[in-house]
Amino acid sequence: MGTATHHPDEDILINGLKSGNQGAFREAVRLYTPGMMAVARFYLDHASAEEIVQDCWVTVIDAIQTFEGRSGLKTWLHRIVANRAKNHLRKAKREVNADFSEALDPDLAARFAPNGRWATPPSLKSNESAQALMENGALSDCLDQHLSALPETQRSALMLYEAHQHKSDDVCNILDVSASNLRVLLHRARQKIFLMVETFQETGEC
Amino acid sequence: MLMCRDLARIASDYIDGELGTSKVMSVKMHLLMCGRCRSFIGSLRASIELMSAHSSQQLDEDLVRRIDERVSESLNARNSGGTKPE
Repeated sequence: MGTATHHPDEDILINGLKSGNQGAFREAVRLYTPGMMAVARFYLDHASAEEIVQDCWVTVIDAIQTFEGRSGLKTWLHRIVANRAKNHLRKAKREVNADFSEALDPDLAARFAPNGRWATPPSLKSNESAQALMENGALSDCLDQHLSALPETQRSALMLYEAHQHKSDDVCNILDVSASNLRVLLHRARQKIFLMVETFQETGEC
Repeated sequence: MLMCRDLARIASDYIDGELGTSKVMSVKMHLLMCGRCRSFIGSLRASIELMSAHSSQQLDEDLVRRIDERVSESLNARNSGGTKPE
């Protein structure tokens, strides 16, 4: 397999990290920590996840010398976090708890009539662009609240897939879930966000 | 025949292009006839965009500061006597 295509800026950053440049580390920490936290939170509670992510960055100082660019830097970092988090989980003799059994959110499922048609159809206006919606500070706060309320497994899947734009294969690998289970996590999380935005647009309340 | 509830169940797979050709055809057929499901798919798509636009903004400054400190300590320890970082 050849090397992954990198953004030229990423190569500059990698060189900076390899030469132990503090500025490069500061930049990388800002850039990659949110994604690394999303990975860690899939497996662990918040405090343990922060601990693991901090430890990972210290490890990276030396480990970056072995980075060969077979994957992107982000994927490489996410795999390091995932491995550490899995070890942590194993030591604590715990398992990830996730419900993969039903793709339809119960609140959305309740909106269909027994014949499978909409009983309470969607009322959301989809003609506003995401950017325009984001300029509404109250909606942004509401989204934060709802994202925090999602089960960790759903939130991590959503973050990695949506915000960090990993390919499905990478997300499955990092989170140790099957492709079909990833689809369930993603869809469940997206439905929750859909329901939240709908309520917000309808009532102006979170 | 695909009902609205079935479509809601596989809506993300449809949006992400994860469905097989025949399933895509039946979703498209359904959407042609059903304005409510068109609205649902459109809204779900908008929610997904909203999510992407939003989550890329999140950064825990306190955590970043703690990491910076630890990394900086380790780098300084490693570099002491060696080349001075920027």
